[in-house]
Amino acid sequence: MKLLQGAVLLAGLALSPVAGLAQTPTTYTENGRALFSFAVPDFWVLRNGGPREITDTELGDARAVSRVMGLRPEASDGVWMGFVSPAGVSSIEDGLDYLGDIDRFLVREPQVTDRSAARIGGRPAQVVRGTGTRDGRGINFTAAVIDLPGPRVAVAVTILAGDADPGFVADLNGVFASFRAAN
Amino acid sequence: MTRKTTLKRAVLVLGLGGSAFALSACDGVYVGVGYGDPYYDGLLWNDYYHDRDVDVDIDIDRPDRPDRPERPDRPDRPKPPVAKPKPPHAKPLPARPPIHRPAGGGGHRGPRR
Repeated sequence: MKLLQGAVLLAGLALSPVAGLAQTPTTYTENGRALFSFAVPDFWVLRNGGPREITDTELGDARAVSRVMGLRPEASDGVWMGFVSPAGVSSIEDGLDYLGDIDRFLVREPQVTDRSAARIGGRPAQVVRGTGTRDGRGINFTAAVIDLPGPRVAVAVTILAGDADPGFVADLNGVFASFRAAN
Repeated sequence: MTRKTTLKRAVLVLGLGGSAFALSACDGVYVGVGYGDPYYDGLLWNDYYHDRDVDVDIDIDRPDRPDRPERPDRPDRPKPPVAKPKPPHAKPLPARPPIHRPAGGGGHRGPRR
């Protein structure tokens, strides 16, 4: 039995990412123009997306949507982070209005617990924190609207399920810390 | 049951089984997206709906539409290059239906971009 426990521990150590390793810089672009960049933590998966049209089959109305970049750890389904720079949203105030519905699409029974001003990557930002549920799980969410040069903003949303390893908070904060607006 | 009938049934079962496997393999391309993607789709749907309150097409006294201008002569079609660029191989996954729809099915909306 002890041998089995030791084997499991070794396997766990072998799979555990080592904190402080290099991350992978990534740039959010629109029509070939860089808008901002951030670092994808090691052992995370990036879903790049791109400009596209989607259709709500009940409305039958195809509309263009902006690129969404989604991140999640390889080893957890309770942590997620997404970036989008929505076209036509030109200020932090517009961005907060844009976020007015984002909780409804991401979580059920959302409760905003905190709103605060911040600086992310040296840029002015507003951060909204709250709780809710999704697929029967309690989750914490943080949404940030970050001012970009010119009439654009970046929207960043993080999801942390209540049963997720809280150690991932450091990874999420690391992504925010790596955020840089393009000139 | 004759041996021939048994053989036919075996071929039929194997054939149907093979088809089902092939179909499920195709479905897996979309179903096996991986976890975490409900949130990704949530951001997509938020972008889809975010300008739903923009009222357009309410100017009932708008002037008559001007006549359509005559179409100019079409220029000669350019010759294609020797090697056509290949379209990107990657295609977006279909977005799953939204978990929420605004009241009124989206209301009045303006054209997007």
